[in-house]
Amino acid sequence: MSSREENAMWSIFGYLLSGLLFWGGIGYGLDKWLGTGYLTLIGLLVGISGAVYLVWLRFGRQ
Amino acid sequence: MEGTLNLVGFGLAAIGPGIATGLIFAAYINGVARQPEARSVLQPIAFLGFALAEALALFGLVLAFVL
Amino acid sequence: MIPRGVSVRDLLRSSSEGGGFVPPSSGDFELPPIFGDNVYTTKPIALVFLSVILISAFFIISSRKAAVVPSKLQFAGESVYTFVRNDLAKDVIGHDFLRFVPYLFTLFTFILVNNLFGIIPLLQFPSMSRVSFPYILALTVYLVFHYVGIRKQGAIKYFKDIMFMPGVPKAAYILITPLEILTFFLVRPLTLSLRLFANMFAGHLLLLVFILGGEHLFQGVIGLKLISPFAFGIGIVLTFFEFMVQCLQAYIFTLLAALYIAGALADEH
Repeated sequence: MSSREENAMWSIFGYLLSGLLFWGGIGYGLDKWLGTGYLTLIGLLVGISGAVYLVWLRFGRQ
Repeated sequence: MEGTLNLVGFGLAAIGPGIATGLIFAAYINGVARQPEARSVLQPIAFLGFALAEALALFGLVLAFVL
Repeated sequence: MIPRGVSVRDLLRSSSEGGGFVPPSSGDFELPPIFGDNVYTTKPIALVFLSVILISAFFIISSRKAAVVPSKLQFAGESVYTFVRNDLAKDVIGHDFLRFVPYLFTLFTFILVNNLFGIIPLLQFPSMSRVSFPYILALTVYLVFHYVGIRKQGAIKYFKDIMFMPGVPKAAYILITPLEILTFFLVRPLTLSLRLFANMFAGHLLLLVFILGGEHLFQGVIGLKLISPFAFGIGIVLTFFEFMVQCLQAYIFTLLAALYIAGALADEH
Protein backbone atom coordinates (compact mmCIF):
# COMPACT_ATOMS: atom_id res chain seq x y z
CA MET A 1 0.00 0.00 0.00
CA SER A 2 1.51 3.37 -0.91
CA SER A 3 2.04 5.78 1.93
CA ARG A 4 -0.70 8.10 0.72
CA GLU A 5 -3.19 5.27 0.87
CA GLU A 6 -1.91 4.32 4.28
CA ASN A 7 -2.36 7.86 5.56
CA ALA A 8 -5.84 7.96 4.14
CA MET A 9 -6.69 4.67 5.84
CA TRP A 10 -5.53 5.92 9.23
CA SER A 11 -7.46 9.12 8.90
CA ILE A 12 -10.57 7.16 7.98
CA PHE A 13 -10.12 5.11 11.14
CA GLY A 14 -9.76 8.34 13.05
CA TYR A 15 -12.93 9.84 11.63
CA LEU A 16 -15.01 6.77 12.30
CA LEU A 17 -13.68 6.18 15.79
CA SER A 18 -14.02 9.81 16.81
CA GLY A 19 -17.57 10.04 15.47
CA LEU A 20 -18.46 6.93 17.44
CA LEU A 21 -16.81 8.13 20.64
CA PHE A 22 -18.11 11.68 20.44
CA TRP A 23 -21.75 10.95 19.77
CA GLY A 24 -21.66 7.82 21.90
CA GLY A 25 -20.24 9.88 24.72
CA ILE A 26 -22.98 12.46 24.32
CA GLY A 27 -25.58 9.71 24.36
CA TYR A 28 -23.98 8.16 27.44
CA GLY A 29 -23.87 11.51 29.22
CA LEU A 30 -27.51 12.16 28.41
CA ASP A 31 -28.31 8.71 29.73
CA LYS A 32 -26.67 9.37 33.06
CA TRP A 33 -28.33 12.75 33.32
CA LEU A 34 -31.82 11.69 32.35
CA GLY A 35 -31.71 8.19 33.77
CA THR A 36 -32.79 6.43 30.59
CA GLY A 37 -31.12 3.39 29.14
CA TYR A 38 -31.26 3.57 25.39
CA LEU A 39 -29.84 6.98 24.53
CA THR A 40 -26.33 5.58 24.44
CA LEU A 41 -27.28 3.26 21.61
CA ILE A 42 -28.98 6.05 19.67
CA GLY A 43 -25.91 8.22 20.17
CA LEU A 44 -23.63 5.46 18.93
CA LEU A 45 -25.77 4.85 15.84
CA VAL A 46 -25.99 8.56 15.01
CA GLY A 47 -22.24 8.83 15.48
CA ILE A 48 -21.35 5.94 13.23
CA SER A 49 -23.75 6.88 10.46
CA GLY A 50 -22.58 10.49 10.49
CA ALA A 51 -18.96 9.40 10.48
CA VAL A 52 -19.47 6.96 7.59
CA TYR A 53 -21.24 9.66 5.59
CA LEU A 54 -18.45 12.15 6.30
CA VAL A 55 -15.82 9.64 5.26
CA TRP A 56 -17.68 8.90 2.06
CA LEU A 57 -17.97 12.61 1.28
CA ARG A 58 -14.31 13.27 1.85
CA PHE A 59 -12.69 10.13 0.56
CA GLY A 60 -15.13 8.23 -1.54
CA ARG A 61 -15.68 10.62 -4.37
CA GLN A 62 -12.78 11.67 -6.52
CA MET B 1 -23.47 -41.48 36.11
CA GLU B 2 -24.00 -37.80 36.26
CA GLY B 3 -25.46 -35.53 33.67
CA THR B 4 -28.86 -34.52 32.49
CA LEU B 5 -31.17 -35.87 29.89
CA ASN B 6 -30.03 -33.02 27.65
CA LEU B 7 -26.87 -34.93 26.85
CA VAL B 8 -28.76 -38.03 25.74
CA GLY B 9 -31.00 -35.86 23.60
CA PHE B 10 -28.08 -34.10 22.04
CA GLY B 11 -26.40 -37.39 21.23
CA LEU B 12 -29.52 -38.78 19.60
CA ALA B 13 -30.03 -35.56 17.67
CA ALA B 14 -26.63 -35.91 16.06
CA ILE B 15 -27.42 -39.22 14.38
CA GLY B 16 -29.61 -37.84 11.60
CA PRO B 17 -27.38 -35.02 10.45
CA GLY B 18 -24.36 -37.31 10.54
CA ILE B 19 -26.00 -39.71 8.12
CA ALA B 20 -27.26 -36.81 6.04
CA THR B 21 -23.81 -35.28 5.68
CA GLY B 22 -22.42 -38.64 4.62
CA LEU B 23 -25.11 -39.03 1.97
CA ILE B 24 -24.67 -35.51 0.64
CA PHE B 25 -20.96 -35.76 0.20
CA ALA B 26 -21.22 -39.31 -1.16
CA ALA B 27 -23.48 -37.94 -3.88
CA TYR B 28 -21.07 -35.07 -4.52
CA ILE B 29 -18.11 -37.42 -4.84
CA ASN B 30 -20.09 -39.70 -7.14
CA GLY B 31 -21.05 -36.78 -9.34
CA VAL B 32 -17.52 -35.46 -9.58
CA ALA B 33 -16.16 -38.96 -10.22
CA ARG B 34 -18.46 -39.48 -13.15
CA GLN B 35 -17.83 -36.06 -14.64
CA PRO B 36 -14.90 -34.07 -13.28
CA GLU B 37 -15.96 -30.90 -15.10
CA ALA B 38 -19.05 -30.71 -12.91
CA ARG B 39 -16.96 -29.98 -9.84
CA SER B 40 -17.49 -26.23 -9.66
CA VAL B 41 -21.16 -26.57 -10.52
CA LEU B 42 -21.88 -29.09 -7.81
CA GLN B 43 -19.76 -27.51 -5.10
CA PRO B 44 -22.15 -24.73 -3.99
CA ILE B 45 -25.01 -27.23 -3.91
CA ALA B 46 -22.98 -29.63 -1.79
CA PHE B 47 -22.07 -26.94 0.71
CA LEU B 48 -25.62 -25.63 0.86
CA GLY B 49 -26.95 -29.10 1.61
CA PHE B 50 -24.27 -29.66 4.21
CA ALA B 51 -25.06 -26.44 6.05
CA LEU B 52 -28.77 -27.15 6.04
CA ALA B 53 -28.24 -30.61 7.51
CA GLU B 54 -25.68 -29.34 10.01
CA ALA B 55 -28.16 -26.80 11.30
CA LEU B 56 -30.25 -29.51 12.89
CA ALA B 57 -27.31 -31.02 14.72
CA LEU B 58 -26.41 -27.62 16.06
CA PHE B 59 -29.95 -26.94 17.23
CA GLY B 60 -29.56 -30.06 19.35
CA LEU B 61 -26.27 -28.87 20.78
CA VAL B 62 -27.47 -25.37 21.58
CA LEU B 63 -30.74 -26.50 23.10
CA ALA B 64 -28.84 -28.97 25.27
CA PHE B 65 -27.11 -25.99 26.82
CA VAL B 66 -29.96 -23.59 26.95
CA LEU B 67 -32.71 -25.77 28.32
CA MET C 1 2.24 -43.48 35.05
CA ILE C 2 -1.27 -43.50 36.45
CA PRO C 3 -1.42 -45.98 39.31
CA ARG C 4 -3.85 -48.84 39.00
CA GLY C 5 -7.27 -48.30 40.46
CA VAL C 6 -7.27 -44.56 39.90
CA SER C 7 -9.38 -43.22 37.11
CA VAL C 8 -8.91 -40.01 35.19
CA ARG C 9 -11.96 -38.63 36.90
CA ASP C 10 -10.36 -39.12 40.30
CA LEU C 11 -7.22 -37.44 39.03
CA LEU C 12 -9.19 -34.50 37.77
CA ARG C 13 -11.03 -34.22 41.06
CA SER C 14 -7.84 -34.33 43.04
CA SER C 15 -6.16 -31.81 40.82
CA SER C 16 -8.59 -29.09 41.70
CA GLU C 17 -7.58 -26.21 43.77
CA GLY C 18 -11.00 -24.77 44.14
CA GLY C 19 -13.57 -27.32 43.15
CA GLY C 20 -12.37 -28.87 39.92
CA PHE C 21 -12.74 -27.92 36.35
CA VAL C 22 -15.79 -25.81 35.64
CA PRO C 23 -16.68 -26.40 32.03
CA PRO C 24 -17.66 -23.34 30.01
CA SER C 25 -21.35 -22.82 29.61
CA SER C 26 -23.70 -20.23 28.23
CA GLY C 27 -22.91 -17.95 31.14
CA ASP C 28 -19.52 -17.38 29.56
CA PHE C 29 -21.18 -15.51 26.75
CA GLU C 30 -22.61 -12.77 28.92
CA LEU C 31 -19.93 -10.18 29.07
CA PRO C 32 -20.03 -7.21 31.42
CA PRO C 33 -20.45 -3.67 30.16
CA ILE C 34 -17.32 -1.63 29.70
CA PHE C 35 -18.41 1.83 30.74
CA GLY C 36 -20.27 1.86 34.01
CA ASP C 37 -23.36 -0.26 33.94
CA ASN C 38 -24.91 0.87 30.70
CA VAL C 39 -25.93 -2.31 28.94
CA TYR C 40 -25.20 -0.93 25.48
CA THR C 41 -21.42 -0.77 25.94
CA THR C 42 -20.60 -4.47 26.18
CA LYS C 43 -17.93 -6.24 24.20
CA PRO C 44 -20.19 -7.73 21.50
CA ILE C 45 -21.61 -4.30 20.69
CA ALA C 46 -18.11 -2.83 20.57
CA LEU C 47 -17.11 -5.63 18.20
CA VAL C 48 -20.06 -4.98 15.92
CA PHE C 49 -19.22 -1.29 15.66
CA LEU C 50 -15.59 -2.19 15.09
CA SER C 51 -16.61 -4.45 12.22
CA VAL C 52 -18.56 -1.60 10.63
CA ILE C 53 -15.52 0.66 10.92
CA LEU C 54 -13.21 -1.96 9.40
CA ILE C 55 -15.49 -2.77 6.50
CA SER C 56 -16.18 0.88 5.66
CA ALA C 57 -12.52 1.86 5.84
CA PHE C 58 -11.37 -1.08 3.73
CA PHE C 59 -13.87 -0.74 0.93
CA ILE C 60 -13.77 3.04 0.72
CA ILE C 61 -10.00 2.98 0.43
CA SER C 62 -9.88 0.13 -2.02
CA SER C 63 -12.31 1.74 -4.41
CA ARG C 64 -10.89 5.24 -4.70
CA LYS C 65 -8.93 6.11 -7.80
CA ALA C 66 -10.02 2.92 -9.52
CA ALA C 67 -7.29 2.20 -12.04
CA VAL C 68 -7.68 -0.14 -14.96
CA VAL C 69 -4.70 -2.15 -13.78
CA PRO C 70 -5.61 -2.62 -10.13
CA SER C 71 -3.30 -2.34 -7.18
CA LYS C 72 -3.28 -5.12 -4.61
CA LEU C 73 -5.74 -3.49 -2.25
CA GLN C 74 -8.13 -2.69 -5.04
CA PHE C 75 -7.84 -6.24 -6.31
CA ALA C 76 -8.71 -7.63 -2.89
CA GLY C 77 -11.75 -5.41 -2.53
CA GLU C 78 -12.84 -6.14 -6.07
CA SER C 79 -12.57 -9.91 -5.67
CA VAL C 80 -14.90 -9.90 -2.69
CA TYR C 81 -17.35 -7.74 -4.58
CA THR C 82 -17.27 -9.81 -7.75
CA PHE C 83 -17.67 -12.98 -5.72
CA VAL C 84 -20.90 -11.72 -4.20
CA ARG C 85 -22.11 -10.14 -7.40
CA ASN C 86 -21.48 -13.11 -9.70
CA ASP C 87 -21.64 -16.27 -7.65
CA LEU C 88 -24.28 -15.16 -5.22
CA ALA C 89 -26.48 -12.62 -6.94
CA LYS C 90 -26.29 -13.24 -10.67
CA ASP C 91 -26.34 -17.02 -10.65
CA VAL C 92 -29.12 -17.28 -8.10
CA ILE C 93 -31.44 -14.38 -8.76
CA GLY C 94 -31.19 -14.15 -12.50
CA HIS C 95 -31.82 -11.15 -14.67
CA ASP C 96 -33.00 -8.65 -12.09
CA PHE C 97 -30.10 -9.06 -9.73
CA LEU C 98 -28.37 -5.67 -9.67
CA ARG C 99 -30.87 -4.16 -7.25
CA PHE C 100 -29.97 -6.68 -4.58
CA VAL C 101 -26.22 -6.73 -4.84
CA PRO C 102 -25.67 -3.93 -2.27
CA TYR C 103 -27.86 -5.68 0.27
CA LEU C 104 -26.32 -9.11 -0.24
CA PHE C 105 -22.83 -7.66 -0.25
CA THR C 106 -23.47 -5.88 3.04
CA LEU C 107 -24.88 -9.04 4.59
CA PHE C 108 -21.96 -11.16 3.46
CA THR C 109 -19.15 -8.87 4.57
CA PHE C 110 -20.84 -7.96 7.85
CA ILE C 111 -21.41 -11.59 8.85
CA LEU C 112 -17.97 -12.65 7.65
CA VAL C 113 -16.06 -9.99 9.58
CA ASN C 114 -18.10 -10.53 12.71
CA ASN C 115 -17.55 -14.26 12.50
CA LEU C 116 -13.83 -13.86 11.97
CA PHE C 117 -13.60 -11.93 15.22
CA GLY C 118 -14.00 -15.30 16.87
CA ILE C 119 -10.50 -16.38 16.01
CA ILE C 120 -8.59 -13.09 15.85
CA PRO C 121 -6.20 -13.25 18.83
CA LEU C 122 -7.08 -10.26 20.96
CA LEU C 123 -10.77 -10.09 20.21
CA GLN C 124 -11.79 -13.75 20.25
CA PHE C 125 -15.52 -13.40 20.53
CA PRO C 126 -17.80 -14.03 17.57
CA SER C 127 -20.42 -11.36 17.97
CA MET C 128 -22.96 -13.49 16.13
CA SER C 129 -22.99 -15.84 19.10
CA ARG C 130 -25.26 -13.37 20.90
CA VAL C 131 -28.57 -14.43 19.51
CA SER C 132 -30.10 -11.00 18.92
CA PHE C 133 -27.76 -10.17 16.04
CA PRO C 134 -28.75 -13.13 13.86
CA TYR C 135 -32.40 -12.55 14.76
CA ILE C 136 -32.33 -9.02 13.41
CA LEU C 137 -30.41 -10.02 10.29
CA ALA C 138 -32.92 -12.79 9.57
CA LEU C 139 -35.72 -10.31 10.22
CA THR C 140 -34.36 -7.95 7.58
CA VAL C 141 -34.05 -10.82 5.08
CA TYR C 142 -37.65 -11.80 5.89
CA LEU C 143 -38.94 -8.26 5.34
CA VAL C 144 -36.96 -7.89 2.13
CA PHE C 145 -38.15 -11.01 0.46
CA HIS C 146 -41.78 -10.56 1.40
CA TYR C 147 -41.68 -6.96 0.28
CA VAL C 148 -40.11 -7.94 -3.02
CA GLY C 149 -42.72 -10.60 -3.62
CA ILE C 150 -45.59 -8.27 -2.81
CA ARG C 151 -44.21 -5.53 -5.01
CA LYS C 152 -43.77 -7.87 -7.93
CA GLN C 153 -46.97 -9.85 -7.84
CA GLY C 154 -49.40 -7.81 -5.80
CA ALA C 155 -50.27 -8.69 -2.24
CA ILE C 156 -53.29 -10.91 -2.83
CA LYS C 157 -51.78 -12.97 -5.63
CA TYR C 158 -48.53 -13.38 -3.72
CA PHE C 159 -50.16 -14.76 -0.60
CA LYS C 160 -52.54 -16.85 -2.61
CA ASP C 161 -49.62 -18.39 -4.48
CA ILE C 162 -47.90 -19.24 -1.24
CA MET C 163 -50.87 -20.77 0.44
CA PHE C 164 -52.45 -22.48 -2.53
CA MET C 165 -49.65 -23.56 -4.80
CA PRO C 166 -50.82 -23.76 -8.39
CA GLY C 167 -50.44 -27.07 -10.16
CA VAL C 168 -51.31 -29.20 -7.16
CA PRO C 169 -54.48 -31.31 -7.05
CA LYS C 170 -57.10 -29.74 -4.82
CA ALA C 171 -57.20 -32.60 -2.35
CA ALA C 172 -53.57 -32.14 -1.43
CA TYR C 173 -54.19 -28.59 -0.25
CA ILE C 174 -55.18 -29.81 3.19
CA LEU C 175 -51.73 -31.31 3.54
CA ILE C 176 -49.66 -28.70 1.85
CA THR C 177 -51.13 -25.37 2.87
CA PRO C 178 -50.35 -25.52 6.61
CA LEU C 179 -46.86 -26.72 5.75
CA GLU C 180 -46.31 -23.88 3.31
CA ILE C 181 -47.64 -21.26 5.69
CA LEU C 182 -45.43 -22.55 8.49
CA THR C 183 -42.40 -22.68 6.21
CA PHE C 184 -42.75 -19.29 4.63
CA PHE C 185 -43.73 -17.29 7.67
CA LEU C 186 -42.14 -19.05 10.61
CA VAL C 187 -39.55 -21.67 9.82
CA ARG C 188 -37.48 -19.83 7.26
CA PRO C 189 -36.42 -16.83 9.34
CA LEU C 190 -36.11 -19.01 12.43
CA THR C 191 -33.77 -21.55 10.90
CA LEU C 192 -31.83 -18.86 9.08
CA SER C 193 -31.03 -17.04 12.29
CA LEU C 194 -30.61 -20.07 14.50
CA ARG C 195 -28.26 -21.77 12.06
CA LEU C 196 -25.86 -18.83 12.20
CA PHE C 197 -26.24 -18.41 15.95
CA ALA C 198 -25.82 -22.11 16.74
CA ASN C 199 -22.72 -22.48 14.58
CA MET C 200 -21.02 -19.51 16.20
CA PHE C 201 -22.10 -20.48 19.71
CA ALA C 202 -20.96 -24.07 19.31
CA GLY C 203 -17.66 -23.09 17.74
CA HIS C 204 -16.79 -20.64 20.47
CA LEU C 205 -17.79 -23.16 23.13
CA LEU C 206 -15.60 -25.85 21.58
CA LEU C 207 -12.59 -23.56 21.53
CA LEU C 208 -13.27 -22.55 25.13
CA VAL C 209 -13.51 -26.16 26.27
CA PHE C 210 -10.23 -27.23 24.77
CA ILE C 211 -8.20 -24.19 25.65
CA LEU C 212 -9.50 -23.75 29.17
CA GLY C 213 -9.32 -27.49 29.69
CA GLY C 214 -5.74 -27.59 28.49
CA GLU C 215 -4.84 -24.82 30.85
CA HIS C 216 -6.56 -26.57 33.73
CA LEU C 217 -4.82 -29.85 32.93
CA PHE C 218 -1.50 -28.07 32.86
CA GLN C 219 -1.90 -27.13 36.50
CA GLY C 220 -2.53 -30.68 37.62
CA VAL C 221 -0.42 -33.67 38.54
CA ILE C 222 2.39 -34.73 36.23
CA GLY C 223 0.18 -37.31 34.59
CA LEU C 224 -2.23 -34.64 33.51
CA LYS C 225 0.46 -32.12 32.66
CA LEU C 226 1.65 -34.37 29.87
CA ILE C 227 -1.82 -34.53 28.33
CA SER C 228 -2.31 -30.78 28.23
CA PRO C 229 -0.23 -30.16 25.05
CA PHE C 230 -2.65 -32.45 23.26
CA ALA C 231 -5.54 -30.34 24.42
CA PHE C 232 -3.83 -27.22 23.14
CA GLY C 233 -3.02 -29.01 19.89
CA ILE C 234 -6.64 -29.93 19.39
CA GLY C 235 -7.46 -26.30 20.18
CA ILE C 236 -5.22 -25.16 17.35
CA VAL C 237 -6.72 -27.65 14.89
CA LEU C 238 -10.18 -26.54 15.92
CA THR C 239 -9.25 -22.92 15.28
CA PHE C 240 -8.58 -23.73 11.64
CA PHE C 241 -11.78 -25.71 11.47
CA GLU C 242 -13.62 -22.75 13.01
CA PHE C 243 -12.21 -20.48 10.32
CA MET C 244 -13.70 -22.72 7.64
CA VAL C 245 -17.04 -22.92 9.43
CA GLN C 246 -17.20 -19.14 9.84
CA CYS C 247 -16.59 -18.42 6.17
CA LEU C 248 -19.05 -21.16 5.23
CA GLN C 249 -21.76 -19.76 7.50
CA ALA C 250 -21.43 -16.27 6.08
CA TYR C 251 -21.68 -17.74 2.57
CA ILE C 252 -24.68 -19.91 3.45
CA PHE C 253 -26.61 -17.05 5.05
CA THR C 254 -26.15 -14.85 2.01
CA LEU C 255 -26.88 -17.72 -0.39
CA LEU C 256 -30.13 -18.53 1.37
CA ALA C 257 -31.11 -14.87 1.43
CA ALA C 258 -30.50 -14.73 -2.33
CA LEU C 259 -32.48 -17.94 -2.84
CA TYR C 260 -35.46 -16.59 -0.90
CA ILE C 261 -35.39 -13.38 -2.90
CA ALA C 262 -35.16 -15.39 -6.12
CA GLY C 263 -38.10 -17.48 -5.00
CA ALA C 264 -40.15 -14.37 -4.33
CA LEU C 265 -39.24 -12.91 -7.71
CA ALA C 266 -39.91 -16.06 -9.66
CA ASP C 267 -42.65 -15.93 -12.23
CA GLU C 268 -45.44 -18.44 -12.39
CA HIS C 269 -44.42 -21.84 -11.08
